[in-house]
Amino acid sequence: MDRGYLGFAARRVGQALVVVLLAYVVTFVVISVLPGDPVTNTLRNPENGFTEADVARIVAYYGLDQPVLVQLWESLSRFATGDLGVSLRSNLPVSQTIGDVLGSTAVLAAAALAVAVALAVLIAFGTQYLPVRAQGVLRALPSLFLSVPNFVIGLVLIHVFALQLGLFRVIYPDSAWATSFAALALGIPVSAQLAEVLTAGLDHESRQEYASVARSRGLGRTRLLLRHLLRPSSLPVVTVLALTVGELLGGALITETIFGRTGIGSLVESSVTTQDLPVLQAVVSLAAVVFVVVNLVADLVHPLLDPRVRKPPTRPSAEREVLAQEVSTP
Amino acid sequence: MSGTVTAVRAAAPAPGRRGPRRRGAALPPPTVVLSLIVLAVVVAWSLAPGLFTGQDPVAGVTSQKLLGPSAAHWFGTDHLGRDVFARVVHGTASSVSSALVAVVIGVVVGGAVGLLAGFLGGLVDVVLARVVDVLLAIPSFLLAVIVVSSLGFRTINAAVATGVSAVAVFARVMRSEVIRTRRSVFVEASFLQGGSRTHVLLRHVLPNASRTVLALAVLQFGLSILVIAGLAFLGYGDPPPASDWGLLVSAGKDYPTAPWLVYAPAAVTIATVLSVNRTSRWLRGTG
Repeated sequence: MDRGYLGFAARRVGQALVVVLLAYVVTFVVISVLPGDPVTNTLRNPENGFTEADVARIVAYYGLDQPVLVQLWESLSRFATGDLGVSLRSNLPVSQTIGDVLGSTAVLAAAALAVAVALAVLIAFGTQYLPVRAQGVLRALPSLFLSVPNFVIGLVLIHVFALQLGLFRVIYPDSAWATSFAALALGIPVSAQLAEVLTAGLDHESRQEYASVARSRGLGRTRLLLRHLLRPSSLPVVTVLALTVGELLGGALITETIFGRTGIGSLVESSVTTQDLPVLQAVVSLAAVVFVVVNLVADLVHPLLDPRVRKPPTRPSAEREVLAQEVSTP
Repeated sequence: MSGTVTAVRAAAPAPGRRGPRRRGAALPPPTVVLSLIVLAVVVAWSLAPGLFTGQDPVAGVTSQKLLGPSAAHWFGTDHLGRDVFARVVHGTASSVSSALVAVVIGVVVGGAVGLLAGFLGGLVDVVLARVVDVLLAIPSFLLAVIVVSSLGFRTINAAVATGVSAVAVFARVMRSEVIRTRRSVFVEASFLQGGSRTHVLLRHVLPNASRTVLALAVLQFGLSILVIAGLAFLGYGDPPPASDWGLLVSAGKDYPTAPWLVYAPAAVTIATVLSVNRTSRWLRGTG
């Protein structure tokens, strides 16, 4: 743990903090450009059963009668202390609203990630084992995955496996089967990028001299793949993996809506419909926090894993990109 | 949705094989020809939908509701007896041109940001790079959703939202391309010969960077079709009787006994995006 690395880590953490706070500001600005007036739309809507006193309390809490800049400052300081505000819809703390559904989305996202990695490894390893002529289909798969809208994947899975084969019931979205298929729908598009990067990495490594040497020593294909080619090829995969977190969160919006799951995605969907701005603000900022933290960890771990970049560069993410490019577009 | 990484990485040209192949070389591979034909059909559908179907996309014959695909109704009919083929064809213009709007926003705004950051460097670069980091940190589909929800649920707003969510990717690629070009010897030579910053920027840096950015733009066009379809699917585009592809799928999913309502518009979307991606790969000269 030399001083250079610690300095690099400190700088990187500082950057991450700035990005998170700015992401909050950007979200706030986007949301408060909203032409509709949340007070009239939601709070004074008789369906919600707020009394005038409630409305006055919420308006005072959010400072909705204050200038936008003051609102931003107060909102930002509350966010910095971990206070996410109160849902306009349910009158519950936003942190509780999010906490209630976080587990479901975490399970879905983890399962989807597992699906994506498994598919990517299958495709990438397949290209290494099959003869060149038979590889075409496998190599075309990622670009096919990237061309299919994710809601179509979900609908097809439901149509075939729930309605025709009866493997799961749509009305029990949290059953193991339903969760697996939701994870499949969410994971397939993500697997495409991983598969592309991993395949390109393996292709590149298998053309290196050390691979020829290993082959000439009579090393079997599987041993070569697992012992030598996989490790250098998987570094860019880690980078891409960190970047796909955002995609999982965005995709969850559609997947959860289609499969009827309650989760962060469907919470966003319903909050958009009911214009529950504090919930939207909180979810989007938290998504940014998750993304930034995961990528921060990837950045910090990378120099430790890869001796080639052990001397920490000044702009680590740029360097990692260059590395990913070199490996994937030989 | 899917994207940033693949887009950024895929836009990097293969060394030694920049740009389209030599003119006059052999015909493009068959899959590319097929893709170009598909794209030509899609463009024709969006320019003159009336030429391809005589049926009304909005008014239906209720006695003919939920009919399967047949010679009279290629894609079958929906719950109001409207011809699905006619609805798909008439929805093309809005589905495809909104993706075009999104890409233009991404290229122009993102390109300008990347160009300024890369060319001016220094403090400008530091500030703009942070802004781009922030935009990248918010999941792009989520960003598109909150932008469209604050602008209002219209297809054109969905297009703007998609464009905004693509700005960061373009800015990043443009910046790295500009920096790469700026460091090259011919740019140095141009400065030494007394070329002004504007001259160097317009004559050397921009043309060199634009090739990669344009290849990315084609890729982003396919991606934007998917994002806009997703937004339309969630009901964030024009309401019915508009017939955006995503909206058609969304309306069709409520009739599981009539799967063609989902499969037909989905197949058209997939064929279009697949063709765009294939063409983009061919243009980059990587296959």
